[in-house]
Amino acid sequence: MKTPFRGFTAILYKEFLVVMRDPFTLFFMMFPPLIEMIAFGYALDTDVKNMKTIVFDENRTEESRALVQQFENTGNFKIVGEAQSITELAELIRRGKAYVGIQIPPEFTRDLHAGRSAKFQVLVDGSNSTIASAALNTSLNVGFLNSIRALANRFGLRDVPVEVRPQILYNPEMRSPNFFLPGVIGIVLQIATTFTTAMSLVRERERGTLEQLMVSPLSRWGLMLGKLVPYLILGMLMSVVLFTLMRWVFHVPIAGDLSALMLGTFLYVFTLLSLGLLISTRAQNQMQALQMSMVFILPSVFFSGFIFPRETMPQIFYAISTVIPATYYIELERALILRGASIHDFWFHFVVLATMGLGLFSLCVLRFRKTLA
Amino acid sequence: MPAEPMISCEALTKRFGHFTAVDQVSFSVAKGSIFGFLGPNGSGKSTVIRMLCGLLEPSDGRASLAGFDVATQTEDIKHLIGYMSQKFSLYDELTVHENLNFYGRLYGLSGAALKQRYDELITLTHLEPYLHRRAGLLSGGWRQRLAMACALVHKPTVLFLDEPTAGIDPVARRELWDLLFEFSSRGMTLFVTTHYMDEAERCSHVGYIYLSKLVVCGEPDDLKQLPVVNPPDAKRIDVTCDHVTVGLQAIRKLPGVRTATVFGQSMHLLVNKNVSEESVRAELAKHNIPHVDIRPIAPSLEDVFVALTNTAANGGPK
Repeated sequence: MKTPFRGFTAILYKEFLVVMRDPFTLFFMMFPPLIEMIAFGYALDTDVKNMKTIVFDENRTEESRALVQQFENTGNFKIVGEAQSITELAELIRRGKAYVGIQIPPEFTRDLHAGRSAKFQVLVDGSNSTIASAALNTSLNVGFLNSIRALANRFGLRDVPVEVRPQILYNPEMRSPNFFLPGVIGIVLQIATTFTTAMSLVRERERGTLEQLMVSPLSRWGLMLGKLVPYLILGMLMSVVLFTLMRWVFHVPIAGDLSALMLGTFLYVFTLLSLGLLISTRAQNQMQALQMSMVFILPSVFFSGFIFPRETMPQIFYAISTVIPATYYIELERALILRGASIHDFWFHFVVLATMGLGLFSLCVLRFRKTLA
Repeated sequence: MPAEPMISCEALTKRFGHFTAVDQVSFSVAKGSIFGFLGPNGSGKSTVIRMLCGLLEPSDGRASLAGFDVATQTEDIKHLIGYMSQKFSLYDELTVHENLNFYGRLYGLSGAALKQRYDELITLTHLEPYLHRRAGLLSGGWRQRLAMACALVHKPTVLFLDEPTAGIDPVARRELWDLLFEFSSRGMTLFVTTHYMDEAERCSHVGYIYLSKLVVCGEPDDLKQLPVVNPPDAKRIDVTCDHVTVGLQAIRKLPGVRTATVFGQSMHLLVNKNVSEESVRAELAKHNIPHVDIRPIAPSLEDVFVALTNTAANGGPK
C-alpha cells in the first residue's frame, strides 16, 4: 500500500460526490463563463457601425445631398436628424444625441464648381476614442475620395493612379467575436478553474476535515491529484461547451487542428488548477483564497494580450505577461482557431504550459505539509 | 510494571511564538487503558492530542506511540491511530454510507474487506436507519456515532477522542461510554478529553492539565488519597438543606470553612477539623434554614481538581 499516490482513489471518489452534491459550486463554475461568452460575443463589438450623425446643411444642393449620401453609404454613419445652426449641432453632440455632426457651408457647391477647395466641417465626439477614430478615418476617406474624383474629372482620367486592394487574412470580415472569443475562453477558463481547487482544499481546512485526512496514511501526491482530477474533467467539459458556443452560436470557425487545441486546453486547465491548489496551501480561509485567486486573475485579463497587444506594453508589463499562463494559451488559441496553425509551429507554447503546470503541481505537493501550522 | 506503555511523553512541550501551549508534560498510557485527559478550555489538551497524532511537531521533549516517535516516524503511526476531533469532521454533503466508504478507502480497504468492515461498524453503531441520509442532516448523537465509525474503520490500536460528548444528550453519552468500555476490553487504548467529571470517574487513568502544565496523573482512586486533597487538619462534609444557595452564602462566611460548593440539593464543604456540626446548623438556623442533614464524604474527582488547581494557581508554577 505504500505507493506514492496512497489514498488517491478515495479522494477522487469523495471529490466527485462532493462536486455533484454541491450545485452552488457547479453553478458558479459554469454560469458566469456562459454569461461572459454571451456578453463578449454579442455586446462587446468594437466594429463601429451606424454612428448617429446629424447634418447641418446650409448649402442644400444636389451636391451637398450627394456628399451626405456618401457618408451614409459607408455604413458607419446613420443620419438621425438635421440641425438648423452650428450651435444646435454642437449642442446635440454635447447632449449625446449624436456622435458626429456634418456642417456643409452655403458656398460648398459654388467652390466645388469654381475649382476652389470646397470645405465642409465634421464634428466628432472625442469622449469615446474608438468611435472618434473610426469617424475620423471614414470622413477623411470620404473627403479624399471626393477630391480624387474631382481631380480625375478635371484631367479627364478614367482610373485613379494608385489603388490599394487590401485583403484581410484569417478574419476577412474583421468580426470582433473572432478576435475576442478565443481570448474570452482563455480568461473565463482561468476564472472558473482557479477558484475551484483553491476553494476545495481551504473549505476542508475550515471544516476540520483536512485534519482528519492528515491523521490518515493518505499521501500528499494522492491528495493533490485526487483534488485536481475531478476539476480537470469538469474544466475540459466546460471548454468543450465554450468552444461549441463559439463555433455554432457565434460562428467563429476553427481553422486548425482540434486535437491540438484540446491538448493545449488540457495543459492550460491543469496549470490553472495547480495554481489554485498552490493558493490553497497558503490561504487559511475561503475569503483569502478568493482574494489570492483575484491577484492572479486580474493580470491575466490585462497583460495576457487578451485585449491589449503585448508588444505595445511598457517593458515591466511585458515581463509580467511572459509568466502568465493565459498569455501562452490565448496566443495558442488565436493561432490554432483563426490562423489554422499547427502544433509544430507552436510547440514552444505547449512546452511552456506543460512546464508551468508540472512545476506548479510539484510545488504545491512539496509545499503541503501533513501537519498543522 | 506491565509491558511497554502504548503512549509515553517525556517533557513534551509546544510553543506557539511566545506562548507555551504545552509545558514539559510527561506521562504514559498503558495498553488497553482508558486515559481521561482533563483541563479547562485552552489548557493544552487538544494540542497534546495533536502532537500525539503527528499533526503538530513538538517544540521540545519527545513522545512515542507504540514505540514510534510521533515527530520523526509520523507516517508509521498513521494506520495505528484513530482520531475523532471535536468537530466530528465529516463530509456534510455525503451520506452516512458514503462517508464510511470514503474513510474505508482512505485507509486502503476495498472490495469484500471494505464491505465486511462496513457491516461491522454499522452493526456496532446502529446507523442502519440513516445510511442514505446526508451527514449534515444528522443530529448530534448520530453525527458522533458516524464520526466514531469513521475513526474506527481501520481497527486502530489507539483511539483519540477530543471531547466526544460535547453537545451530546445523556443517553448518547451513556451509549458512547458503553462502547468505549467494550473497545478497552478488547485491548484498544483510548485517550479521551472531557469536561464531564462523571466521565472522568469512569476512566482507568486521568491526567489533569492546567495552564499548559500537567498537574497530576494517576488512577482516580489514588488521586483522591493525595494529601493536597485531604489536608490532615481538615475534613469534607456534605450539607443537605433547603435554600442551598442562601445557605452557601452564609456558610462561606463561617470561620474555618475553606471551600464550599453547591452540588444539586446539597453543598460540599472542606472545613477545619475543629468546625463542629453544631456551628454549621446554628449558622444556617440564623438564616431560617431549620432542616439540615450533615454527613462526612470522601473527595470526588472534582474536589481533587479544584484542590490541585488552587494549589497550582497559588504557588505551584512560578
